[in-house]
Amino acid sequence: MASPGASLKRFGLPAGLILLALLFPFINEVLGANLMFPVIVVAVYVMLALGLNIVVGFAGLLDLGFVAFYALGAYVVGWFASTHFSGVNFSFLSALPTSGSLPGIHVSFWVLLLAAGAFAAFWGVIIGAPTLRLRGDYLAIVTLGFGEIIPRFFVNGDDIFGYNLTNGTVGIKGIDSPGIPFVPSRGWQQFGTLDLNPWYYTILVLVLVTVFVNIRLRDSRLGRAWIAVREDETAAAAMGVNLVTTKLWAYALGATFGGFAGAFYGAFIKSIFPTSFSFNVSVLILCMVVLGGMGNIYGVILGAIILQGTNFYLLPQINIWVHDIGTALSSPFLANVDIPKYNYFLFGAILVAMMLLRPEGIIPNRQRQEELREGDEDDSATEITGAT
Amino acid sequence: MPPEAVDGTPKILEARGITKVFGGLVAVNSVNFAIPERAIISLIGPNGAGKTTFFNMVSGLYKPTSGSFVFGGTDVTRLGAHQRARLGIGRTFQNIRLFGTMSALDNVLAGMHTRLKSGVLGSILRTPGVRREEEEARERALELLRFVGLRSRETFAKNLPYGDQRRLEIARALASEPKLLLLDEPTAGMNPQETARLTQLIGRLRDERGISILLIEHEMRVVMSISDRVTVLDHGEKISEGSPVEVREDPRVIEAYLGTARTG
Amino acid sequence: MATTQEAKTGGSTLEGLRASSWSSRIAVAIIAALTVLLLVQAVREPGQFTSQLLIGLTNGAIIALIALGYTLVYGIIELINFAHGDNFMIGSFVGVTVLSGTFLGLGFFAPIDASSGAALKVFGVLFALVVAMVVCGLVNVGIERVAYKPLRNSPRLAVLITAIGMSFILQNVGLAWKDASQIPFPSLVSNANILAGVTDEVTFRWKDLFVLAVTVPLLVALSYFIRSTKQGKAMRAVAQDKEAAAMMGINVNRTISVAFLLGGILAGASGVMFGLFNGTTVFDVGLRQGLFAFTAAVLGGIGNLTGAVVGGILIGIIGSMTDQYIGVRWTDIVIFTVLILVLVFRPRGLLGDRSAVQGGGGE
Repeated sequence: MASPGASLKRFGLPAGLILLALLFPFINEVLGANLMFPVIVVAVYVMLALGLNIVVGFAGLLDLGFVAFYALGAYVVGWFASTHFSGVNFSFLSALPTSGSLPGIHVSFWVLLLAAGAFAAFWGVIIGAPTLRLRGDYLAIVTLGFGEIIPRFFVNGDDIFGYNLTNGTVGIKGIDSPGIPFVPSRGWQQFGTLDLNPWYYTILVLVLVTVFVNIRLRDSRLGRAWIAVREDETAAAAMGVNLVTTKLWAYALGATFGGFAGAFYGAFIKSIFPTSFSFNVSVLILCMVVLGGMGNIYGVILGAIILQGTNFYLLPQINIWVHDIGTALSSPFLANVDIPKYNYFLFGAILVAMMLLRPEGIIPNRQRQEELREGDEDDSATEITGAT
Repeated sequence: MPPEAVDGTPKILEARGITKVFGGLVAVNSVNFAIPERAIISLIGPNGAGKTTFFNMVSGLYKPTSGSFVFGGTDVTRLGAHQRARLGIGRTFQNIRLFGTMSALDNVLAGMHTRLKSGVLGSILRTPGVRREEEEARERALELLRFVGLRSRETFAKNLPYGDQRRLEIARALASEPKLLLLDEPTAGMNPQETARLTQLIGRLRDERGISILLIEHEMRVVMSISDRVTVLDHGEKISEGSPVEVREDPRVIEAYLGTARTG
Repeated sequence: MATTQEAKTGGSTLEGLRASSWSSRIAVAIIAALTVLLLVQAVREPGQFTSQLLIGLTNGAIIALIALGYTLVYGIIELINFAHGDNFMIGSFVGVTVLSGTFLGLGFFAPIDASSGAALKVFGVLFALVVAMVVCGLVNVGIERVAYKPLRNSPRLAVLITAIGMSFILQNVGLAWKDASQIPFPSLVSNANILAGVTDEVTFRWKDLFVLAVTVPLLVALSYFIRSTKQGKAMRAVAQDKEAAAMMGINVNRTISVAFLLGGILAGASGVMFGLFNGTTVFDVGLRQGLFAFTAAVLGGIGNLTGAVVGGILIGIIGSMTDQYIGVRWTDIVIFTVLILVLVFRPRGLLGDRSAVQGGGGE
């Protein structure tokens, strides 16, 4: 640790990256790149991927319904910071100057952010508690089941015995913006749609907090227990590790970050629909974790950036190129093909290719690399503990 | 130590009428069994006699079909493996089950899990208390590695030589500060020198640390040299019990082993 | 597989009841209450109830054929073949393509549709079924070879992730092939009520009969194959113990391929019937239908062929009853809830899964 090389790697690289992230809005403005919006969405996905990384990467639980927590977080903001519950008139520290006179519930975004995390964690525990005794693949399917039920519930929730809880497929619109009171700048008192800097710095802080928590957890007593459970449940139990609570922590903590990300996204996009929270999103997030390297924090961030970058920038760009080529060759097929529509082909192919060729991801976690590379077929571990 | 003296000492573990049935097959049949404090008890018997099944029931990985376990005065029959580990039952596995992709040191730290208190919030904030606890845990883990005679700390457990893996498993089990340590064929696959060193180590655990030991072992020289008492299982039933000398001369034991005995 | 299973059924059910008494008592109470509610409906409007039951049976047959594919594969290599539902979708696409008579822009014959003659309709349906079965069988075998076989010794979750990847690849093949809109099937099987002359109360249409008339022979053939042929016996042996089977000279790789082939064949048949029965198909139908079928497989006891059929029919009936008495929009939620409840509280299913056969021996 004392060597300058090691400390440069330990502190220099993160410091450089954070500096770059802090300066990004200025760089963007100087270059006139107009990338603020996509970068904010990418950051939301970085947060989601880091949350899922706790569950999949650290604890080794395959969660195919992670989108559920994202949706729950978004709906918390939708319900409590909009005119949705028009029968009620309640306001609490809202950034909206007129919130007192508007119908609906208007609670401060910052309060709701924490509430969304807690709400998602609560559901994480509710979903997790009965299911975490299951074998890995069954657990994955149960999480998928929940992930499918929750958006369908939001679709059907406009008529629960006549009560409109979720406004169905139309979704909740006009979600309040966050704001920081007592700041001289008006753009910060209520985040607007023209100046995206407040949004950017908010999500940046959220991402940094997520990274920080990921790192601290990885190196903690709980982090060791996660690896132990992932490697050999039987041995872990014999060492005194409570399998259920250990997994439940992973589940709840992962869900919390999903909830945070959902809350931010809801406020940022201002309207939420059940269709934004389909199974595809769960798979996209999983794909980010797998591509980057399960368990490796840098890897997961890179995976999220690559895949959302592909979605936002690369595929539309390729589409334009292909159309140009098609026009030049006067091929109507190439000139009209809609390439971004097939993005999930790419994600599916990435999942298959990574598992076949480089299961440890682009930036492997040292331990995960060893695990995934070994021919370990031994599942008796889970089966024995299933009986206890 | 004569058997009468052993019977007089308090018991760390009592098994009463333990039976385990696997889909119609009786693996262990109403076994009564006691382990005194500060004693080394060996469990021997031909292959398939139900020794490992019994072990798994003591450590809580299997639930007995009937019967009960009392550990240190508490009925632990209904407790899971992790709860028993917390109360002080530690174990190793016949087919080594280390956390292969953790370093030797981290394996021992993982074994210390129940003896550490750091909570989630404390770990995230890394409070002074958590920091101190982690440092102390590291110190103790290094001490344990020295105690079992392991020099490599940072190597992945799966990359250690076989004998070192066995020793690391014992260190990991000791990290949970057991009152009763279950060793499942600890000398399997070791050469005579390694076996001798390990036998000595097991003796030290009892003498220096006051740990009771339940030992499954095929190596008869080990069993005869360090056991205070020996219990023999055959076809899931206890057929003999006594001092090593008594058991060795018991005709039922000789019969059970005839033809099936592994060369020891 | 099936024979050993039947012997086990009674015992394991009792054991399960004893093992988790409080949760199973609640479950029994809930199921009893629901059954009573259904019976009340049955008495109030027996015609409607019977019709729904028959629709459930037909839907259940379609689901059962897919469920068999999950269970065959799981029984042998313990993999949830997540791409199986999408293979079913490919089956329905192949079916509609064959009936259109046009492939890759080449017209092979005039489309077979409602206006075609009766003989041509029968031929068209059979031809579509056979082509879809062959294509889906081969696709399934191909997927296994390319995506799963290299990972046979990897952690289980790695293979599951690959299977999810394959599912998305197939879905996008479907999307590229037929686009995102609903694809209409020609109405070749009559919608008319067979019982029209007998009673107005109960509806049992020709197309319901059609589905059963295709499903039953397939099930009989599968059962014969598994019980009586050499390859079927090899499958049962591999399902019991891969290593022992290999030592007995059974070609394990080929046996696994056969399991995928059979699963694919059944999915292909199911896909065509689904299209003809519902009159439409779409590229992402596989996820929902596949999850229904997986639920059926788990409900019956995964790895258990009889269980997959029983589970399929139960899921079909639960679905049709929910459609009628709760509301179509709640059907998915109800069935996914069944999936979760079964996995959590009775992962071995109603008839017991394959691991029950293996017992829980020592280390």
